[in-house]
Amino acid sequence: MPTIIACYKWVLDEQDIKINPGTLDLDMSRAKSKISEYDRNAIEEAVLQAEKNGAEVASLTFGNSKAKQSLKDALSRGPAQAYWVNDDLADSADAFVTANVLAAALRKIGQYDVILCGEGASDTYAQQVGPRVGTLLGIPAITFVSELKMEGDKVIATRKIGNCTEEVSASFPVVVTLLPEINKPRIPGLKQVLGAAKKPVTEWSVADLGLTAEETTTKNTIKSIKGFVMSRKNVIYKEGTPADKVANLVVSLTKEGVL
Amino acid sequence: MAGIWIYSEDTIIAQQIITLGRELAGKMQQPVCALTMVEQDAQTLIAAGADKVIVLKGDNAWPESYAAAVAGQAAQQQPTVLFVGATLRGKDLAAKIAATLKTGLITDAQKVQFVDGALETERMLYGGLAVCTEVLNGMNVITIPPRAYDVPPQDPSRSGEVVAVDVQTESTMAVGNVCPIVRKGADIAVAEKLVCIGRGLAKQEDMQLAQDLATAIGAEMCCTRSVAEDYHWMPVEAYVGLSGQKVKPIIYLSMGVSGQIQHVAGIRDSKLIVAIDTNENAPIFAAADYGIVGDLYQVVPLLTEAIKNKA
Repeated sequence: MPTIIACYKWVLDEQDIKINPGTLDLDMSRAKSKISEYDRNAIEEAVLQAEKNGAEVASLTFGNSKAKQSLKDALSRGPAQAYWVNDDLADSADAFVTANVLAAALRKIGQYDVILCGEGASDTYAQQVGPRVGTLLGIPAITFVSELKMEGDKVIATRKIGNCTEEVSASFPVVVTLLPEINKPRIPGLKQVLGAAKKPVTEWSVADLGLTAEETTTKNTIKSIKGFVMSRKNVIYKEGTPADKVANLVVSLTKEGVL
Repeated sequence: MAGIWIYSEDTIIAQQIITLGRELAGKMQQPVCALTMVEQDAQTLIAAGADKVIVLKGDNAWPESYAAAVAGQAAQQQPTVLFVGATLRGKDLAAKIAATLKTGLITDAQKVQFVDGALETERMLYGGLAVCTEVLNGMNVITIPPRAYDVPPQDPSRSGEVVAVDVQTESTMAVGNVCPIVRKGADIAVAEKLVCIGRGLAKQEDMQLAQDLATAIGAEMCCTRSVAEDYHWMPVEAYVGLSGQKVKPIIYLSMGVSGQIQHVAGIRDSKLIVAIDTNENAPIFAAADYGIVGDLYQVVPLLTEAIKNKA
């Protein structure tokens, strides 16, 4: 039976991040965490494929100690077991380091036929960890997939890339990154959530993975992270009848010369 | 280590990035070198501003199969930076090149500058909520979104070196069944006027309201992610946002769109943003130039009439 490993990132929910209007610094103090949306599609697809074709499904994440909360969430979505690289290095890791860590963890797991990732993470949306992992493991990576089939020991994937679709097939083992349209992640029920607590979790630190200092050092230096300010006119018509508001808007748009 | 390298499988995008390349070439005192798999495009790239063109000659028409080949050239010649057009094909290739070269990769850089002897980039984080400025160390790959720069005028008097290199291509993946995606209507990524619908619209039939307004101002229709992915009222290609289309119209007019961060990230290059929504506190108003707080079922027909009467 093939083994499918769904990778996910435990990220801050961007809806909870506030921007300090004076300094433009980000206030994360009230931000909750979540499994990156795109990665929920990866977990869902792993489970759907297992339901269709029969497969062992495991989840894999690299996160700090707080990512412990994510394990139950991930496991309640269907994987039989979870792997967790628990290390504070995750807080500062860039895609280079993250890919090195995930690839090393996958080598340590030893058994993988299909590795599924979201097309990007919802915090950085750098869209590179999946294909990087493929290259590091020396296996094909098929990106931006909107439909996936497993047949025997290969995958047949429909990629959706801008103005065309194309079908790409490759033999196991293979990395596949998924577009969000591929499925609709299930919402785990009480039974699944309770069952998740009983599933096995394997925990490692980065030191257990035997990476070199270079492989765990980020490439570039972050100079600043500041809230984005959209500088717009913000002329909002709230008062008066609908007809008044429309009349005001038409005057404004006419002045702007866009009608 | 020297050289500003540029690659896109789309020669128009490669030329757009040459505009950035020339801007940096003066400051960095480094030549601009373009890579292509299409020998016939070499002169176009030189006339656009490349000092040198490397033609990669392989036996595969699939651009993604050239990652190792591009990485091999870069490993030998050590450019300072490799810019790749941020199409999805380009992003795939860029990630595989960066992994091979063990370098950083900046995705969708919105700004690239040469400051105090180093490259500095800006890109979005948290769905567009924040901007991250990074100082790059050593060789890096940077992807640049399509249409971020203008195509430079062709200067046929320019000359440059063209080097053809035979390369090995990736063969572990088989590609077939390439089908163009047939779009209903125009490509919203380049549309000059857009009307956008969100979940404030109660039912699919009500899209006619939006369509009437779009017809009155001569706009194309687009939508939010949930309208396409959850309701299936419009094709996935019609949704605007971080993971959907990025639009830059002269006017973007939304109705019933709350303005989630990821959606706003897709419209921020619009010249004028106009929003109609019942919720005064909807984030779309903070991103809008003009707005009406009101029931779209009342406001939109009135607006359509007013515009028709004006014309």
